[in-house]
Amino acid sequence: MDAMIQLIHVSKWYDRRPALSDIMIEIEKGEFVLLMGPSGSGKSTILRMLIGEEQPDEGQLFVQGKNVTKLKRSEIPYLRRKVGSVFQDFRLLPKKSVFDNVALPLIVQGVSDKDIRRKVTETLRAVGVEHKRDQSPSSLSTGEQQRVCIARAIVNGPVILLADEPTGNLDPELTGEIIELFKLINARGTTVVMATHDHHVMHQVNCRVITLMQGVILPDRAVSERVVV
Amino acid sequence: MRRLFYLVREAWVNMRTNRMTTIVAILTTAFTLTCVGIFLLVYVNLQRAAGWLQEDVKIMVYLEDRLSRDGRLQLELMLKSDRMVGSVLYISKEQALTEFRAQFPADSHLLEGLGENPLPASFVVTLAPSFRSPESMKDWVEQVQTMEGVAKVDYNQRWISLLAELIGYIELAAIGVGILLSAAAVTIIGNTIRLALFARREEIEILRSIGATGTFIRIPYFLEGAVLGACGSALSLGILKMGFELFRQQVQFVSRFSGIDGLISFFPWSACLALVAAGMVLGLAGSVVSLLRVGEGRG
Repeated sequence: MDAMIQLIHVSKWYDRRPALSDIMIEIEKGEFVLLMGPSGSGKSTILRMLIGEEQPDEGQLFVQGKNVTKLKRSEIPYLRRKVGSVFQDFRLLPKKSVFDNVALPLIVQGVSDKDIRRKVTETLRAVGVEHKRDQSPSSLSTGEQQRVCIARAIVNGPVILLADEPTGNLDPELTGEIIELFKLINARGTTVVMATHDHHVMHQVNCRVITLMQGVILPDRAVSERVVV
Repeated sequence: MRRLFYLVREAWVNMRTNRMTTIVAILTTAFTLTCVGIFLLVYVNLQRAAGWLQEDVKIMVYLEDRLSRDGRLQLELMLKSDRMVGSVLYISKEQALTEFRAQFPADSHLLEGLGENPLPASFVVTLAPSFRSPESMKDWVEQVQTMEGVAKVDYNQRWISLLAELIGYIELAAIGVGILLSAAAVTIIGNTIRLALFARREEIEILRSIGATGTFIRIPYFLEGAVLGACGSALSLGILKMGFELFRQQVQFVSRFSGIDGLISFFPWSACLALVAAGMVLGLAGSVVSLLRVGEGRG
C-alpha cells in the first residue's frame, strides 16, 4: 500500500472543545476521498492540518511519508507546493488577470518565463477558461472563478489536491461540471481530498467517503471497511 | 526574471495604491533627515575650519637673552630633528624689532625710550600635520618649555581648545539628534509598511497558501521601505542644498561675514550618495521592524 496521507490518533481542541478526537485516516496515492459532515464536524480542520496551517494537539500527520507535525516553519511553504488547495471563496487576486493568478505558484517557485507561459496555457485549457486568460477574475462567473482557482491549485503539478467546499457557492449544474473536473484531475494521478457537506456531491463521485461528526469518524456501512478507525 | 519583475512590481503597486501614505512618509522622513543634515553640515564645516586653523597655528619659542649663538644653533638643530616638527624659522631680536615697527608704526615710539631692544629672539615652529591636534600640541609645548635657553613658549591654545570643545559638543548633539530622528524615520516608514501589509493581508494569505516563502512575501515590503528611505533622504539633501545656498547668499551681503561664504561648503557627492544609502538602510530597518511586528519576519 502506497500511503499518501496518514493521520494517526490525531486530536485537536479549540478552547477545550474537541474539534477532532483520535482520528485515524489513511489515504492512498491516486485516491479520491470525500470528507463529509456538517459544519463544525472537523473537515476543514483536517485540510488545514494537511497544509501545515494548524497543528494537532495530539497524534501524528504524514504527507508523502513526511511528518507534517515535525516540519519547521520554513519547510511549510515547500509542503504547500506539493499540496494544491481549492477554496469555497476562490481567493483570487482581483487586480491580476486570470493568467497572472494561475501563474502565481510558478512565479513563487522561480519557474522560467517560457515554462510559466506553457504550463499556465495548458492548465487554463484543461480547466476550460483559456479564452478568459487576460480578463480580471471579477468579470468571470462563479463557475469560471472556481475553474481558475482549480487551475492555480494544479498548475505546478501537486501530488495532492485539497478542496474545501469547492461547490459551496455553485448551483447544481455548475457543481456537476466542477466535480467532473476534479475527477479528471484525479484520473491523471493526483490524490484528491474534498471536504463537503453536500450529499449531491457524494452521489456524483463514486469514491471513498469519510463521514465526520463532531470531530469523530462515523463508521459507514458502504465504506467502513476502507476507513481505518 | 518574472519573479524579480513580480517582486519589483508588487513594491511599486504597494506605493502607488497607498499614494497619499507614501507621499506623507517621504515628506516626514525628508523633514527628519533634514534636521539631522543641518547638524551634519555644521559639524562638517566646523571640522574643516578647525583643520585650517590647526594648520595655521604657529608656536612661538622665545629665547633667553643670555643664550649664546652656539646654544641657539644647538637648540635649532634639536627642534629641526624632532619628528613632530614640520618647520622652524629663526627670528632674531633685530628682525623682531623691524617686524614690530612695520606692524605697529604708531606704537614704535614706545620702544625708543627703552634704549636696548626689549624684544626677544624666537623660533617660529609649525608642527608636522599628524601632530597638530590640541593634545599633541600641548604635550610638545610642555616638553620644549623645559629646554635650556627657552624663556617662554606661546601659542593660541585657548582658542584652539575652545574650538575643539565646540566641535565635540556639536558632534555629540549630531549623534544624539541623529539617533533620535533616525528612530523617528524608522518608525514613520515602519508604520507605512504596516498599513501596506494590512491593506494586502488577504493577498499575503493567498501567497502563503500557494507555498510562497516568508522571504518572497517580505521582499516587496523591504524594497518599498528602501525606496521610501532613499527618496526621503534625497529630498532632504535637496532641501539642505537650497537652504545652504540661501544662507551663503545672505552671508555675502553681511560685511562682517564677508569671505565666510567662500570657506563654507556643501557635502561632497560621495557624502550625498552615502546619505541616500543611509536613508535606504533606515527604510529597510523600518520594514524589518514592521514585518517582525506582524509576524511576517518569522517562518
